[in-house]
Amino acid sequence: MIVNLTIALLGLLVVSAPVGLVLFVLAFGVDWFYSGFPLVRGLGQVIWSASNSSLLTAIPFFIFLGELLVRSGVAARTYAALDAWLSWLPGGLIHANIATATAFSATSGSSVATAATVARVATPQGHGLGYDPRLFAGAIAAGGTLGIMIPPSINLIVYGFLTQTSIPQLFLAGLIPGILLAVMFMIVAAIICSTRPALGGPGRRADWGERIRGLRDLIPIIILFTAIVGSIYAGWATPTEAAAVGVAIAALIAAAAGGLSLTAVHAALLGTVKVTGMILFIILAASYLNYTLGAAGLGRELEALLESLALGPLGTMLAIIVLYIVLGFFIETLSLMVATIPIVAPVVIALGYDPVWFGIMLILLVEMALITPPVGLNLFVVHAARRAAGVPGGLGQVMVGAAPFAVAMLAMAGLLLAIPGLALWLPSLGS
Amino acid sequence: MSPAAILSGLRRVNAGVGLGCGLVLLLCCVFILVEIVTRRVAFGLFGGTDEISGYVMAGVASFACGYALVERAHIRVDLIHRRLPSAGRTLLDLASLGGLVAVAGALVFHGWGVLSKTIDRGSTANTPLETPLWIPQTLWLAGWVWFLAAAVVLTGLTFAAMLRADWAAAADVAAPETDEAAIEAGERG
Repeated sequence: MIVNLTIALLGLLVVSAPVGLVLFVLAFGVDWFYSGFPLVRGLGQVIWSASNSSLLTAIPFFIFLGELLVRSGVAARTYAALDAWLSWLPGGLIHANIATATAFSATSGSSVATAATVARVATPQGHGLGYDPRLFAGAIAAGGTLGIMIPPSINLIVYGFLTQTSIPQLFLAGLIPGILLAVMFMIVAAIICSTRPALGGPGRRADWGERIRGLRDLIPIIILFTAIVGSIYAGWATPTEAAAVGVAIAALIAAAAGGLSLTAVHAALLGTVKVTGMILFIILAASYLNYTLGAAGLGRELEALLESLALGPLGTMLAIIVLYIVLGFFIETLSLMVATIPIVAPVVIALGYDPVWFGIMLILLVEMALITPPVGLNLFVVHAARRAAGVPGGLGQVMVGAAPFAVAMLAMAGLLLAIPGLALWLPSLGS
Repeated sequence: MSPAAILSGLRRVNAGVGLGCGLVLLLCCVFILVEIVTRRVAFGLFGGTDEISGYVMAGVASFACGYALVERAHIRVDLIHRRLPSAGRTLLDLASLGGLVAVAGALVFHGWGVLSKTIDRGSTANTPLETPLWIPQTLWLAGWVWFLAAAVVLTGLTFAAMLRADWAAAADVAAPETDEAAIEAGERG
């Protein structure tokens, strides 16, 4: 069953069937070939229960919040402030790219939206200053991936929904690995630019007055992050309520910046519904696939397979990591997560791994998928922003520039394996 | 009616569906905010926001699936698709749409099964609100009906364009929105 399923999954994806359709077809196939009784009778009830979920409502709220922030101009001011603080480091503005992406990740639940926002602001700033175009663009693509690691995170909500794991715990678990990864990205950039100064552009140094004034521009982002994440941990709000609070604050920020016209809100709402439809279709399909796989006894078959392989927990985890890296070359992030969670998560949990820890590991692996060619959405996003800004150079430049940061992600995966506490320490404080 | 008129009519209705979903979400957001604020002061004005936002998600989810379909926004892996000649691309698009018609049909059929059972039994939610479940389930099912209707119309239009060998028109109906266009709009999860 496992081999046939995998072949069917990849085959249907390759002929460009919509991902949600692929998952539904797989579920119908499991029902037809492997189940003793017709599971499709449960289709209506499974889809109703899955979609009647106040938890999932957080997803359109976080998308809408992002749409509002993009229109508020807050990204440009954040970038200028972080530039004043960080550009004396070897690599100059490249550090501002990474730090702005990190700051935005703390308000955005999406990596692609984070990369798009930072790329739009940073690309015109760096062009013509002598930075290596590959490294400059690669840092934005990589920094943007933090959007789904640092809370809030749409992908962590999806993981929590499909594996019945606590969202507040997952959010808390992502914080330290996310910040650590940002620091590692900056170290990578600093090392590259110290050994080959030609790549790094001119040194810049802002005076203290400029830096202090810049702090004021960071306030909106800090308020937004504190309100969303703080209200969840203080126990004042569920993730969905925190998302609603975030929407309200983002609307105030956008209104203060004069970006809240009726046309802008209309466009933001339509964008939100569109992305919600894309995401929900595959989540609902995955829920149904989850149900059919469970009923058809995939768990027992996987257990038997694992025993016959005799890899042990660590060996199996390494095999899973390699699998995700390879699939991540070709498959889009959310699809990769949603299509594999019903199969992989039960195995991992049966091996004794903590579901919260695996959620963070999985996010790290799909972050890598975002910047590994040929299919890496963040590479496309940064490239599109470069073209829009009239910067010459092909997609290949972004791919090469992102590669050193992918190596940093691999190192992070190793760290997470060696020290699970990086993810699990903060959640353990709460419980 | 000409195919072009049918397509633009479908898109007009769809824009209304999208705006409706957006406004419902906005309303739900305001509702939750009022609840949070009043809960800090007293016991909360309404109670049951959790339940209501679940119903909102169910209704918005099914309608939004249809909205995204007409907008050609559903995620597809186009590694092979974009390397094919236009006739091959149209064939793949048609196969995808045909599959979606089947899935949407199954969702409507079994969704009706859920709703009709609710009506027969007069089921209410197991909550303090005791919401009669036929209300949210009817909206939810209506969304899947819209998804099915949109899929049927798009399949018909693509098929008609294919018979005329009008590949540009077929692509306009059914080809995936390009990654670059989606990304420049700053979208995707």
